[in-house]
Amino acid sequence: MTAAAMGAVPGFRTCPATGHKIDRQAELLIKVNAVVAVVALLVGATAALLLALTRWQAVHLLPAVWYYRILGVHGMNMLIFFIIFFEMAVLWFAGTVLLDARPAAPKYGWFNFGLMLVGSLIVEAMQWSGRADVLYTSYPPLKAHPAFYLGIILFAVGALGVVGQFFATLTIAKREKTYAGSMPLVVYGAVAAAIIAVITLLHGAAVYIPTLLWSLGIIPTINPQIYRLLWWALGHSAQQINVAAMVAIWYMLGALTVGAVVLNEKVSRWAFVLYILFISMASAHHLLVDPGFGPEWKIVNTSYFMYMAVLASMVHGFTVPAGMELGMRLRGFTDGMFGWLRRAPWGDPGFSSLVLSVVVFGFFGGITGVTLGTEQINIIAHNTLRIPGHFHATVVSGTAVAFMGATYYLLPLVFRRKVAFWKLAQWQPYLFAGGMLLVETGMTFAGSFGVPRRHWDISFSQAPFDVPFNPAVDLFLAMVGIGAIIAVIGAYSFILIAVKSVFFGEPVTSFPRGVVVAGIPQGLTHPPVHAANVNEINEKLHAPGGSKLGPTPGTVVLVTAFFLAFVLYYFTNWKLLSFLWKIG
Amino acid sequence: MLTKVHTGLEAVPGIWWQPAHKTEKVWVAVAFAWCMVLFAMMPLWHWKGGQNPSGVRTRVDPKAYFARTVKFAQQYKVGDDRGIPIVQPPPGADVYLVGLTYQWYPILKLEQGKEYMLHMSSLDVNHGFSLYPLNVNFAVVPTFDYALRVTPTAAGDFRIICNEFCGIGHHTMVGRVIVVDSAGRSVADNTGARVGYGGAR
Amino acid sequence: MYPSPDDAPKSERIPLGQRLFDNVYLLLALGLLVMLVVFTGWGMWEILSIPQGTLP
Repeated sequence: MTAAAMGAVPGFRTCPATGHKIDRQAELLIKVNAVVAVVALLVGATAALLLALTRWQAVHLLPAVWYYRILGVHGMNMLIFFIIFFEMAVLWFAGTVLLDARPAAPKYGWFNFGLMLVGSLIVEAMQWSGRADVLYTSYPPLKAHPAFYLGIILFAVGALGVVGQFFATLTIAKREKTYAGSMPLVVYGAVAAAIIAVITLLHGAAVYIPTLLWSLGIIPTINPQIYRLLWWALGHSAQQINVAAMVAIWYMLGALTVGAVVLNEKVSRWAFVLYILFISMASAHHLLVDPGFGPEWKIVNTSYFMYMAVLASMVHGFTVPAGMELGMRLRGFTDGMFGWLRRAPWGDPGFSSLVLSVVVFGFFGGITGVTLGTEQINIIAHNTLRIPGHFHATVVSGTAVAFMGATYYLLPLVFRRKVAFWKLAQWQPYLFAGGMLLVETGMTFAGSFGVPRRHWDISFSQAPFDVPFNPAVDLFLAMVGIGAIIAVIGAYSFILIAVKSVFFGEPVTSFPRGVVVAGIPQGLTHPPVHAANVNEINEKLHAPGGSKLGPTPGTVVLVTAFFLAFVLYYFTNWKLLSFLWKIG
Repeated sequence: MLTKVHTGLEAVPGIWWQPAHKTEKVWVAVAFAWCMVLFAMMPLWHWKGGQNPSGVRTRVDPKAYFARTVKFAQQYKVGDDRGIPIVQPPPGADVYLVGLTYQWYPILKLEQGKEYMLHMSSLDVNHGFSLYPLNVNFAVVPTFDYALRVTPTAAGDFRIICNEFCGIGHHTMVGRVIVVDSAGRSVADNTGARVGYGGAR
Repeated sequence: MYPSPDDAPKSERIPLGQRLFDNVYLLLALGLLVMLVVFTGWGMWEILSIPQGTLP
């Protein structure tokens, strides 16, 4: 079936903005997964507010039982339900829309969605009813009701099913030649995410099936260290799915908002391949001060195999902004070193989300992650609030912000609705990211004073001994509380905008070019197309003898600043470690 | 020879397996060198540094470990605090600490500058050893004895916070470690502490 | 050999690296293999080979 014939087939529509062929069944699957993702985000964000107002000791909102209970709800809803349902939407989108292809066995898409939905509702019910007060990690010998584990297994099986359908869709698209040459880079990133998802979910099955049997009394014990090994192969690798998906979305949003170009396919694809091969090993980050493993295993795994996956991140950290800079310079934004950045569409929430995601993920999330994941440095950080400080910077300020940015384009393109509350939408990324930055900063500093994570009361009012924390800790926890209020307003804003747009929004049937329309991002009304002679301009920019810093001098300055920050933060932590007792 | 200008949303026909431009090559080289530094630091610290989580790790039965800890406490007991024995082992000794819901047992009294083999395990669920205010953190996993050679570097009155969720009493689980200096003095006595609801069960 | 490079059969022109990178199932297999050997397999071996303690 050729691409041309597909446009006339009733199962497809042609997108008026991009010309892509959109299979109607795939479109429905994209929508329903995205909607459920946003519902989970609502639950998770509400939980976040309650938790932050409890860790802010001056407020101490929730009683102990509910703090730990809602902590589990927050983890599950954010790290599993919100993010994975959204990623299912991304996979359906990348495999079909971006390749003009039909989905493989879409009926099974509904079956798998059903499994995920039923599984998540069972888990939700178990957590809220107090039958699973074991937190998101559920470490044995802590034991939950069997239905808790069963729900997670159903969810994982459904997700694995969708991933399988994604691979099948790719095979069909290749066979039916719906695109020429190699798949777009954005889809390649989705492939990396999907492969890591297989690694993640297989380990999930390996850990949850025996644990379910143990909770039913069928097997007598679970080795707690083996559980931790397998669980973190699921738990941390799930976050690496998020990293790959986020980077894919970076390339997509760059292209849509400013016409970002791919500097070199080989370089960017190498970076995704390094993710596929090595990034999941860093699950070892959580096991560095565990008794189960010797230093060789810890060093090889925590380093993502000699930091090859960090190399990959640093590559994307260059090629994403450089692609944006080059894309803009090719379109005439050549003034000075940062004219392209100053004159970029900061009022486009897709663009601002992209930049905030790249900057906070890179500078805050990435640097702290690599540092805290160093075998010995972990000694001063494990299970302190520095850990949530790190991972909120990656998965929230990085992945969630990128997903929100993508939504602003998804709404008019896939849902075919204008973005509601447009003025609010333009501010939303700044509000959310700003609030989260306060949360992450507060957590990181409090943690460096020894404040534990997952802990209801650091005044230790019910403990036999006092723990006189430095009074600065109260300030940092207040920062977490206030930051959370701002961030949750930002999250609620996003949800309000999404719900209003999807269910009550103004329909969009065409994208008038050159007209500013409230509710349609500028990338769709003023598409960043390149001139006919762009290849000539590109050759000139790359010719030797140009700027000392090459064709993307602004990005070179930015990555240099990033590199210096990395080196400084990293070695400072070694110095802090050296003040400790001798331990070996 | 550059490929045609295109975005990440476009399929790529032809050969895209091309050499990188000089700027990319330089950045990859810098990043690669940095990755090698990152990787080398860990073995280097094992060789030259003072803090490593290697330890001597063995498998134990939780009840047997608990019994051994009780025997250790009785052998070197020098006092009591809120019902928990204060235990002062000689330098170089095997020191036993156990975490259980919801306390750390016993209270250790160590000497600055002396080395001890600190054993840690749990009687029941996972716990987190977090020595305040130094911020020394280790996972305490039942059925595993995590023995670390430790040398306290300064005298003081330390706390052990539990930082691995272990149940509803998790936030009441606090232990105490006293380190005396070479003259046998501890830094302030724990006069600021209040008798709470927790303590030995 | 051909009037123009575009006339050469595709398989003669695409470099091996590009073909490998385009092979999604190969990447899936390698990704799984590396993880299962280096992290999971070796990790399980580490845990299971910890000796019984004597509690001296």
